[in-house]
Amino acid sequence: MNTPMKIYIPNETTSNSVGAIQVHRAISNLKGIEDVEIIRNGTWGAFWLEPFIEVERKGGRVGVCYKDVNLSQLKTLDDFLNDFESRNPFDIREIEFIKKQKRIVFSRIGMGDPLDITFYQNNGGYDSLRNALSLSKQDVIDKIKESGLTGRGGAAFPTGIKMQTVSDQNSSIKYLACNADEGDGGTFSDRLIMESDPFALIEGMTIAAYAVGASKGYIYLRSEYPLAKTYLARAIGIAIENNFLGTDIQSSDFNFEIELRIGAGSYVCGEETAMMESIEGRRGLVRSKPPLPAINGLFDKPTLINNVVTLATIPPLLNGSLSDFSDLGSGKSIGTMPFQLCGNIEQSGLVETGFDITIAEMIENFGKRTKSGLPIHAVQIGGPLGIYLSSRMMSTRLTIESLQDIKGSVGHGGIVVFDNTVDMSEQAKFAMEFCSKESCGKCTPCRIGSVRGVEIIDRLQKNRSSKEDSILLNELCKTMEATSLCAMGGMTPNPIYSIIDNFPNELVEK
Amino acid sequence: MTKLKETIKPFAEIKGGLMPALHAIQEMEGHISKDAISELAHAFNHSKAEVLDVLTYYDDFTLEPSGDHVIRVCGAEACQSRNSKELTDQLTNHFDLSLGETTSDSKITLKEVFCLGNCALGPSVMINETVIGEADKDKVLNFLNEID
Repeated sequence: MNTPMKIYIPNETTSNSVGAIQVHRAISNLKGIEDVEIIRNGTWGAFWLEPFIEVERKGGRVGVCYKDVNLSQLKTLDDFLNDFESRNPFDIREIEFIKKQKRIVFSRIGMGDPLDITFYQNNGGYDSLRNALSLSKQDVIDKIKESGLTGRGGAAFPTGIKMQTVSDQNSSIKYLACNADEGDGGTFSDRLIMESDPFALIEGMTIAAYAVGASKGYIYLRSEYPLAKTYLARAIGIAIENNFLGTDIQSSDFNFEIELRIGAGSYVCGEETAMMESIEGRRGLVRSKPPLPAINGLFDKPTLINNVVTLATIPPLLNGSLSDFSDLGSGKSIGTMPFQLCGNIEQSGLVETGFDITIAEMIENFGKRTKSGLPIHAVQIGGPLGIYLSSRMMSTRLTIESLQDIKGSVGHGGIVVFDNTVDMSEQAKFAMEFCSKESCGKCTPCRIGSVRGVEIIDRLQKNRSSKEDSILLNELCKTMEATSLCAMGGMTPNPIYSIIDNFPNELVEK
Repeated sequence: MTKLKETIKPFAEIKGGLMPALHAIQEMEGHISKDAISELAHAFNHSKAEVLDVLTYYDDFTLEPSGDHVIRVCGAEACQSRNSKELTDQLTNHFDLSLGETTSDSKITLKEVFCLGNCALGPSVMINETVIGEADKDKVLNFLNEID
């Protein structure tokens, strides 16, 4: 029997946002399509090529970008295949953007149907859970410690140490909470895992829960990600049917269930203590620490909290890829990091690579140039609380340490590029505006300071040489930094300091 | 009333069920009514003020019904770098609305959102649950025509 031809059409938010749904509709209506297997795959993360449609025949798999293509005149499968061939299809795995990456965590995205658990297992999936269940809990934690993995949500805390703390608590009930409230502007790596490889998250959560002794896990997903919600809900169901969740998982005596909780449009709920408040059914106000969530967290029980990418990084560490991961980098910046290259950039997308790469290399190897064709003026790294770097700072390395040295952070790995039409005083004002809109209201410097900050920057935009306002802004920033409970108020000054320092005369005259 | 009770009941039995209960009511009725607040207070053994305290914190829960179609324009940094401010101005002008307002015929609610995770192909707009990438005014209006 001949293997049927396969056509891959992505079903993923960004691909859908530029026409994958319409292409799927057109291809599904072709005469003769019954003989073809249509696979709704995830994305490869090379977003400027979406919607990227692939045809697989006789072992070869090639694709074409179908953005803004009118398919209405194509009536039959042959019409489509002729059209497809005329567009010079190529193997996406051979393009520099993909080849130059080191995909360990995102090794499967784009390859197949994200909900096909057989496909998942044929490509390394669930080997790690089976391996973990054959090890002692402490052995699993030791492997995570050995890997050097740090939290990919922004704080870069050593994951293994956090797991050890939860594991060491003497409590019959412990929880795992996956933070999927990916709210930083310029980031989408969590979403890609959830939409294009959801079993990777579920497997990572199951291993982490086993290691720390948790029997219940929550995924706190932001409501802005409806497709991720659909994928996760279905993936959890399929995992239960296949005994990868539930009781006596894979004939062990380990039980674990996952409940999906949906956020409701609050940025601060991505802060772990506010997230716990929200899961418990309250306003998402930040709690003061201590107690650490690892000791007294969700519903007053020891709770392991990690973000999506951190948890999805656990399976590769237990299936033989540990040394591939941990041999990369040094210090805190070990392993691969999924950078999200976006904003005004020609080749936008997900770039999983070691940390030790300069911004210039990131642009040259992956992003190429601005989308507008104008020169780069600024790059913001690490989300709304991250710093802006000027075009003179492109030799900065994207390691946790080198960004810390200049008062920045890798954060969740967002890299947003701006061309020279950007008004940096507006970006500074936005930092304060964003804080004023999203502050939970608990700490006065964050709640009111941000409003005063907008007002001061408004005045500076009219008179950049005002010494008085420049001093006031600096004092306000110092106060917010020193006296806010969480990163929202505490780090909002970072983009502003960076604009004052790196963009002389654009916000204040020196 | 019984419909509200039935909707709330399963959530009153789980830990921290108030948020999912609010989502279920918002989805069913398009807003959180006074009746719903009373029922929630009763089911969760809270005061009505406590329920109000929680729901008014979150943008997704509304005390008034939204328009038939909710348009969310992303105002976060990556979309700013792709001229989201101009797009926002065009849309507020076209519908003659400020952000957060609903047209008088209750058809359209225009809102601002910070990040839809579509940062690679901004500016982004979400209409109900559909995200439009590399959005412009025409794409938004065409999509509205298609779904109406």
